[in-house]
Amino acid sequence: MKQIIAVALLLGGIATAVNAQQPAPANARMLPDISVVGDLLGDFSPKGSTQEDRTRFGIREIELALQAAVDPYFRGDVFLGFSDAEGVHIEQAFLTTTALPAVEARLGRFLMPVGKTNTTHRHDLHTIEYPWVVQRFFGAEGLKGTGVYVSRVFAPLGFYQELQLTAVDRIGEAPEELFTEEPVNQDLSGLAFSARLRNYWDLSSAANVEISGSVLTGKVEQPYAFGGAGPSPEVNAVSAGQTILGGDATFRWRPLQEGLYRSFIAQAEIYRQTNGRSDDAAFGGPNRDFTGAYGFARWQLTRRTYVAGRYDWTQDPELGGETLTAASGYIQWYPSEFSKLTLAFERVMPARIAAVDATNRLLLQATFAIGPHKPHPF
Amino acid sequence: MRMLIAATAAVVFSTPVGAQLRIVTSTTDLADIASAVGGSHVRVNHVSEGYQDPHFAEAKPSFVLQLRNADVFAFVGLDLEAGWMPILLQGARNSRVAAGGRGHIDVSQAIEVLDRARGNVDRSQGDVHALGNPHYWLDPDNGRRIAQLFRRRFSELDPKNAAAYTANATAFEAKLKAAEEGWAPALAQIKGKPVVAYHTSWKYLAEYTGMNIVGFMEPKPGVPPSPSHIASLIAEIKRTGAKAIIMEPYYSRKDADFVAARTGARVLVLAPSVGALRGQKLDSYVDVLQYDIGQIAAAVK
Repeated sequence: MKQIIAVALLLGGIATAVNAQQPAPANARMLPDISVVGDLLGDFSPKGSTQEDRTRFGIREIELALQAAVDPYFRGDVFLGFSDAEGVHIEQAFLTTTALPAVEARLGRFLMPVGKTNTTHRHDLHTIEYPWVVQRFFGAEGLKGTGVYVSRVFAPLGFYQELQLTAVDRIGEAPEELFTEEPVNQDLSGLAFSARLRNYWDLSSAANVEISGSVLTGKVEQPYAFGGAGPSPEVNAVSAGQTILGGDATFRWRPLQEGLYRSFIAQAEIYRQTNGRSDDAAFGGPNRDFTGAYGFARWQLTRRTYVAGRYDWTQDPELGGETLTAASGYIQWYPSEFSKLTLAFERVMPARIAAVDATNRLLLQATFAIGPHKPHPF
Repeated sequence: MRMLIAATAAVVFSTPVGAQLRIVTSTTDLADIASAVGGSHVRVNHVSEGYQDPHFAEAKPSFVLQLRNADVFAFVGLDLEAGWMPILLQGARNSRVAAGGRGHIDVSQAIEVLDRARGNVDRSQGDVHALGNPHYWLDPDNGRRIAQLFRRRFSELDPKNAAAYTANATAFEAKLKAAEEGWAPALAQIKGKPVVAYHTSWKYLAEYTGMNIVGFMEPKPGVPPSPSHIASLIAEIKRTGAKAIIMEPYYSRKDADFVAARTGARVLVLAPSVGALRGQKLDSYVDVLQYDIGQIAAAVK
């Protein structure tokens, strides 16, 4: 009997030892990855806050991300935005295929792959806000679309190329104050479509360049002229075509061995917005096209500190195409990968006819991330 | 007719004669061991370089092209590659190497992992790897485990060359064993000697060699040294008599040199990986261990 007990104890000990070597699964309850990003803003502009809500200190946005594999075929990503100005809104929510060979498809709402900077989350920007051309052509928070996205990578010429196509509900959000007789996407031809072709080259182990072209086309609401009348009192706008062509170039340098301490990035984008004309005498929309561009560069000073600058030049659609220029400088400090402080000075020089003086802006941004925040695209 | 269809299918779907397993690894060490075990039957590329901090490799699109066509992606795991691996695997759209694929090899599954976090873990503790210390390849016993893992997995994926993989793994073991016999006197020199390390990446080498890490340049993993921490470290070095500050080539020497000047300790820039020191010919896993052990022994005697 004692021998039986001894053997049992020995076997149990071995089993325990074996089990002790097997760590428990890291996520046995299959919870999604939950991350939060906080984007806090201080506006110390000398002649009053330049924020939409005129606050000096504000929580620009809290972003909650929930990400997980849905099943062997899809991954789900949901990004919710919380802000004092907009309450809760769905920033992005999409299903991504994980089992299709060579192709990736998404269904849902996503940052539109038009240009380079538009696919960067606003809190991740090195410049606190999107370039002026993006703000004026796409909106202050960039351009999102709800629909279908397909991407394919190929390399027939020996370098990385990626074609990204979308078909989405419409360009941007419907303006609250404009009403057309029929929705702009009444026909399928009224959906918005985009295409972007990325081209990437390694110049060396430390340097690389990306040159890409984008096109976005769809319909938007354009107002009737002041005093002009539509077919009914409720109708004050007409559906008109709009196409945006974009080109972007990015150069990066980061020596591999010194990469914790030295890096440089230079980026430029140019956009051309072409607007459908109307023969209707009451048409109050733009009867011209607009161009905008920016150039940006950032140099790493130390392991945690960067300096950057940006120059913007935009024919402002909100001011009939008169030119808005701006010059800005930035100092960034990263206490860690998960927190960032950015101090920015910007001088905005609006159009001459706007009769508005140039504006000096002084901003301080603090961002932080908690949870397993996923890495962002290169 | 049936024979024709069967023959056609055999031609279309069989592995072409002479085809190699296309392997991508996250680090140069895994690449070297994979090459040693795979021999002429594999073609190996790696993402990060030996002289680069593997935590912060960039997810460049050119790596996507490598992974797109790979049969195997072998990585260190334990979140070492968390900053870039998901982007690359997502972009590659290659089910063979995606999570769950036959060619997706988390090498940490074969390892006796040190420093598994106990109790509450959060980022107030620095850049802590909650699943354990991922810098395990610097223990030759783990090198053996990696080689056996590759032998097993390559043989599953390419059974017709299983005998070659077994022979190559045996040869790797023999080379490692011979090298261990060569550096045994150096191990005797190192055993029990106090040293300071820059980052927690030298724990496995410390376990193997018996060197006693009495302090780290980083007050917490991933946190650069502060003046107060440097002051306490200087005191600790003087108290323990540590003669060496061992560090990787991708960290700045400035703080280590400051401490060394005030304590008489020697700053040793060692190779954390294959190819790490561009002035030295450290082209293999065994070369790296031989160099590091030799340098430590010379510094602490």
